[in-house]
Amino acid sequence: MVETKNSEPLIKVEGLRKVYTDDGVPVEALRGIDLSIYPGEFTAIVGPSGSGKTTFLNLISGLDRPTAGQVWIKGRLLAEMSDKELSDFRRDNLGFIFQAYNLIPVLTVEENVEYIMLLQGVPKEERRRRVRQILKEVGLEGFEKRRPPQLSGGQQQRVAVARAMVSNPSLILADEPTANLDSETGGGLLDMMRELNTKTGMTFIFSTHDENVMRRARRLIILKDGRVAEDKQLP
Amino acid sequence: MLWTFMKLAWRNLLRNKRRSIIAGTAIGLGLASLMFVDGMIIGMFNNMIEAATATFLGDGQIHRVGFRRTQEVELTINNAASLIQQLEKDPEVDKLALRVLSFGMITSAANLSAVTVVGIDPQREQFLSQVDEAIVAGSYLQNKSPLEIIIGRDLAETLEVGLNDRVVVTVAQAKTGALSQEMFRVSGIFHFNIKEMDQGLVFISLAKAQQMLALPGEIHEIALKLSDRRLGQNKEHPFWKKYSREGNEALGWAALMPELSFALQFTDFSIFFMALLLVGVVAFSIINTLFMSLYERIFEFGVLRAVGTRKSGLFQLILLEAASLGIISIIIGSCLGLVLLLIFSHVGIDYSGIEFAGVTIQKAIYPVLHIGQFIRYPLWILIFTIVIGLYPALHAAKITPAEAMRKSL
Repeated sequence: MVETKNSEPLIKVEGLRKVYTDDGVPVEALRGIDLSIYPGEFTAIVGPSGSGKTTFLNLISGLDRPTAGQVWIKGRLLAEMSDKELSDFRRDNLGFIFQAYNLIPVLTVEENVEYIMLLQGVPKEERRRRVRQILKEVGLEGFEKRRPPQLSGGQQQRVAVARAMVSNPSLILADEPTANLDSETGGGLLDMMRELNTKTGMTFIFSTHDENVMRRARRLIILKDGRVAEDKQLP
Repeated sequence: MLWTFMKLAWRNLLRNKRRSIIAGTAIGLGLASLMFVDGMIIGMFNNMIEAATATFLGDGQIHRVGFRRTQEVELTINNAASLIQQLEKDPEVDKLALRVLSFGMITSAANLSAVTVVGIDPQREQFLSQVDEAIVAGSYLQNKSPLEIIIGRDLAETLEVGLNDRVVVTVAQAKTGALSQEMFRVSGIFHFNIKEMDQGLVFISLAKAQQMLALPGEIHEIALKLSDRRLGQNKEHPFWKKYSREGNEALGWAALMPELSFALQFTDFSIFFMALLLVGVVAFSIINTLFMSLYERIFEFGVLRAVGTRKSGLFQLILLEAASLGIISIIIGSCLGLVLLLIFSHVGIDYSGIEFAGVTIQKAIYPVLHIGQFIRYPLWILIFTIVIGLYPALHAAKITPAEAMRKSL
């Protein structure tokens, strides 16, 4: 499903830099990154703590603004978008999976999954149909009316995957998605995501330390001290 | 989308039930106090109006122009007979009493005192004032003898007289100013619990007063009890103009007792000021609750923003949480306010003997329960809660997603 580098990149990053100020002391999290990610990739960004993985994901998703450099997604320059346009762009094009699941605890499983479609204004019947379908795909049929605290960690992360995928985004960003799961549950979840990637062609970008993720990734970008140390395609 | 935000707001509020109930109760107590104070002020003013009008004043009075200021006995009401006839036919007038008033001196074997001598028609007077009800010894004027007099308890103590004792009343006659004296027998002693009346008024029959003052058939004052008692408060009502002619002036109690009328006009202002103080106190409770809830969920707000919720959506969500807190507070406050008002409107609060705005409160004050208290103040609280919610809502809307989720994505 991965498109060749001859096609237009889904994400293009040039000279990306980010400097934070921590108690008045400037901290250089990214020191100039240039790379492209193509539609359908299943890419892992790896590196030690503080290497800039999270900062990189924040910047390419428009959750934060870079100090220097540019990010294009689907040909659109993020720096030119207003806050409202960025919100709408994330809503329509990006899906997020977080380390701590980050579901809305007061909403049920189906309401959590349905939330983004509500923001998109998808009609009720269509929403219900897609929620049923995606919950079936992630193996959570029968859990619709439960609230997140009533689920195990693995089940919550499946809900997070369903939430990220239900609106058919072009790109799914997953920050350490298996960090809070045991290796068997994490492995199962990754297999499921890889299968969805193969089936739907959605692009997945992971930030991770997990060998499980690295083994399944098709591309590995290794960050070190805010720079790309290695970028390799895997078989 | 609004429905989803409303659902989220309610569920977020119920997430920490104890905190929401404590905050709701704190705000509710403010609301209940506001409702109670409102009921209390209305009750107090009803009580004062009743004390001022029903005791002796009436809902309104008619005099010759200048009499109220000078108390000159010559200033009797012009064309009194036709005026009385007209008043008796007027549907606005329920009852009326005729009076003659004069400064005078009362003397006993032991002492003397300056008084206002009031000549009254006992039959008419008992429908209008409470002189008959205030009798604590002896009896009200019976018209058995023209030489009956009723005096206040304080005056009786000053004069050291009791029932059936003799007293001499001296007045100056109209026009000539010649002194006129008469010996009366004390037939009754009254106690209004109003110092000025208990010490300074004596009542004799109207005919006797007219004879002593050389004013046959003339009167100084017509006191009115009106069919619609609110008319006494309305200075501009045509009723007062209608009878303010031929040198006479007709005035409602609001004009006769301007200090009481003035105090009443400030009722709304006092309630508003009190409301401002109370809501100022509860404001801290609202801000505290919303901010605690906000800081707890800052990460969640980051997630909501990350998945595409606009700033305006987050802003709406916090405002809806504030409104939901307002609604919980209104339910608690209205119930508390209702219970308080129901209890105290039944048992009353005893303030008798206390003087305010020139009126001595006679009976217990009964707070008044009315529908406005359950509309106006809850609405204030709701609006105020939403206005207070603007601050945390703006704060939440300003959070950048990356900042909120710094520990994760």
